[in-house]
Amino acid sequence: MWTTAFVSGITLGSFYTLIALGFALIFGVTHTFNLAHGELLVLAGFVSYWLWKTFGLSLVFTFPAAILLSFAVCLILQRLFSRLREPLELNSVVVSFGVAILLQNSMLFCFSGDYRLIRVPALNQGLRLHTFYLSYGQLTLLALSLLVMGLLYLLMHQTYLGKALRATMQDREAAALAGINVGVMGVLAFGIGAVLIGLAGPLYGCIQYLYPTAGLQATLIAITITIFAGIGRLHGLILGGWILGLVESLAVVLLGASWREMVSAVMLLILLAMKPHGILGREG
Amino acid sequence: MRKTGSGLQIDENFPLTKGALLLGFVFLLLLPVVARYSDYVLQVFTHALLLATLALAWNILGISGSISLGHAAFFGVGAYGSVLLSLELGISPWFTIPLGGLVATGFAVITALFCLRLRGGYFALATLAFVEIPKVITDNWDSLTRGSLGLLGLPGLPTLSLGSYHFDISASPVASYYFVLSYALLLICLVALIFRSNLGLALHAVRQEEAAAEAVGIQVQRYRLLSLLLSAFFTGIGGACYAHLIRYVEPSLVYGLHFSAIPMIFAICGGRFTVLGPPLAALVLYPIDQFIFHPLLPAGHEFLYGAIIILAILFMPSGFWGRLGKGHLVSAKTGSIE
Repeated sequence: MWTTAFVSGITLGSFYTLIALGFALIFGVTHTFNLAHGELLVLAGFVSYWLWKTFGLSLVFTFPAAILLSFAVCLILQRLFSRLREPLELNSVVVSFGVAILLQNSMLFCFSGDYRLIRVPALNQGLRLHTFYLSYGQLTLLALSLLVMGLLYLLMHQTYLGKALRATMQDREAAALAGINVGVMGVLAFGIGAVLIGLAGPLYGCIQYLYPTAGLQATLIAITITIFAGIGRLHGLILGGWILGLVESLAVVLLGASWREMVSAVMLLILLAMKPHGILGREG
Repeated sequence: MRKTGSGLQIDENFPLTKGALLLGFVFLLLLPVVARYSDYVLQVFTHALLLATLALAWNILGISGSISLGHAAFFGVGAYGSVLLSLELGISPWFTIPLGGLVATGFAVITALFCLRLRGGYFALATLAFVEIPKVITDNWDSLTRGSLGLLGLPGLPTLSLGSYHFDISASPVASYYFVLSYALLLICLVALIFRSNLGLALHAVRQEEAAAEAVGIQVQRYRLLSLLLSAFFTGIGGACYAHLIRYVEPSLVYGLHFSAIPMIFAICGGRFTVLGPPLAALVLYPIDQFIFHPLLPAGHEFLYGAIIILAILFMPSGFWGRLGKGHLVSAKTGSIE
């Protein structure tokens, strides 16, 4: 039981890191909180569900549509955020909260309030070794999450674009002085973030029920991991995702599945209590 | 000197003349006579008045510059506190409603331990996360709260009798309307007093320039705590009234986004630097939503609130009535919500 809980914690945690990547990138580069992150994720999941259910499309072929839609919404969001005044963190929280309400109601209108799940029977089979069990679904989730993280790492560390993005995260003013167009970097962060959301959304629909207000959980997960990691630390995001995944599995084993929803909220509150000035408030 | 100067400024912020306000007051007072044949119209205005009280309560914290995205926590705790006290101990709702407010205040003390050191966006994030805690606990404490099934058939408010007049607050829409109206008017007076008191002035100072406020000897954290507790108390009373009026509670209802988002949106859109802006926004926007958008778009009509808050932050950060008034001075410096 403990090994199964451990494996599911690590799998889930890796996926949580994937969920948090887009949020962390956007926050790192633009210093804005996107509270509509979870809603975007659920929206991408819904699009994938709809294509899968109505046209019988294989899940793999629904990704382009999900990515395209989240790309479009993220660009609109970026336009909105670029008009915000200081204090950016607070204003972006309130505006994106409004965007989250807009998206929730649009999803309620388009897809109704029913609970939906993308069921892929093949993913429910799996490997069994004595008491140890790993489903193909978990394996896919783990492999895809690690693959995307690896690709993002290569992008950030092996290309000129990645270097510019990292410079903007570390010090916006210095980056601007060095000739980096900080505004363009912001647009790019939203673009890359949108692709990450479009990838994670359909996967989210395979492991959790989709409904219009499901986004809050994903948003809290993304915020918790981002605040745990700090800015521009990919390994911190992975560690944060694993810790959150493991604590959630532990809570499910010890307390029951219905307490799982509280874990990310409690962890976020503890983190905020320990870092009262947030991520950016550090000196030096 | 300081007291009268700043205290008056707050009222001068408000652009509507006394005549217009009197007209609105008479309209509210006579509404049940006009709308006698439509319970639906009365119910919409009763809920609008309840939301107005929530916006007023939210604004007690709002004037200090803190934005809470989680007031549904206090609403739900107040509702469940009052309902469980009246069900388990058989106390009359007259007493359990203020007790529900006290339970919400107690919960606010726990919230304060985690959130009060935070500022700006981080405070907002923490309040958003804090709603999950009472929600999940209520959902799981089956033996006491019956979990996600909710509690049905709650004790309503008793009938008031005055001679031959019987005032059955829970059963008659007219009576519940007047009950919520009188609470709303009472709260408007209380909030106006708070705005003019030392507490209100200190909170305005904290919002405008916290460091300067601290430098002139305002105990910033003490005032922020006090405003959070007062705000939670009145939000809890609102939750308790709601539960006893509709005689039904359910975690996803009372801890839902509706009761976190909508009072916040009304307060910001109406004008956080005014007493009457937030309740007026509730009385205008909620009926517009219910009478115009709800029939057009039965699913998804609340998109209106999302659109309104985005437009408000972008184009009129000091709110609708806040901008029209002379008091634009308050936020002219930064031009944004603080």
